[in-house]
Amino acid sequence: MPARPVAPPAGGLGWANLGMDIVSVNRVRRLLDQYGERFFERMLTPGELADCRTSTGLDVLSLCGRIAAKEAAFKTLRVRGRFLPWPDIVVRRSDGGWPLVELRGAAAEMASGSGIAEITVSISHDVDYAVAVAAPVLAPLPANTPTTRTT
Amino acid sequence: MADGLQQVKNWILERHPERQDIAPDLDLIENRLIDSLSFVEFVFLLEQESGVSIQMETLEVDAIRTLAAIETHFFAAAGATAGAEAVQA
Repeated sequence: MPARPVAPPAGGLGWANLGMDIVSVNRVRRLLDQYGERFFERMLTPGELADCRTSTGLDVLSLCGRIAAKEAAFKTLRVRGRFLPWPDIVVRRSDGGWPLVELRGAAAEMASGSGIAEITVSISHDVDYAVAVAAPVLAPLPANTPTTRTT
Repeated sequence: MADGLQQVKNWILERHPERQDIAPDLDLIENRLIDSLSFVEFVFLLEQESGVSIQMETLEVDAIRTLAAIETHFFAAAGATAGAEAVQA
């Protein structure tokens, strides 16, 4: 396999490694039909599942949006050799309706290792697909550190 | 090949009808045979077929990167024990 180019290190004024994801409604509906809610209990916290619930049960578009947001947020971390720690990237609905990302456990460790303090996401969906884009908020560099990150 | 591993291989082939077979050393991740969403379903299948409880948060990609690695970590008699310890650590 030919050598691949190396991405520059994150950091510096205005720098952000964005993450983006798209999730198919058909795919998630099949998983819900085949496995039931217990499948999503491995991916979403009880609070996230509550955010996706309506009077008629889990809303598939909301599920897709949460899943896309988690994947998009994970992509900003740029970690090798690890799978998405689903329950550790928590996407909740704020008072205004905007999604908020909370990093826990393994995700918080990965973010810390990548110099990321927080992640902001935006979610959109329409009929067949949900998409999300995420941007990291970089942790402040210690004083006297060059502006280009090396981590 | 163990029955459980054959079931895993069949599960992947059913979702990728363009493939006739999967070599033991084929990289399942690089070749996009398993992505992050199908990974969760894949873990369900692996637990069912191997009898090993898997913690997704600590599972290393290399443990499921190839069919050969899956056999080592989840289906070989001694390897299944080591794999279970590794993923439950």
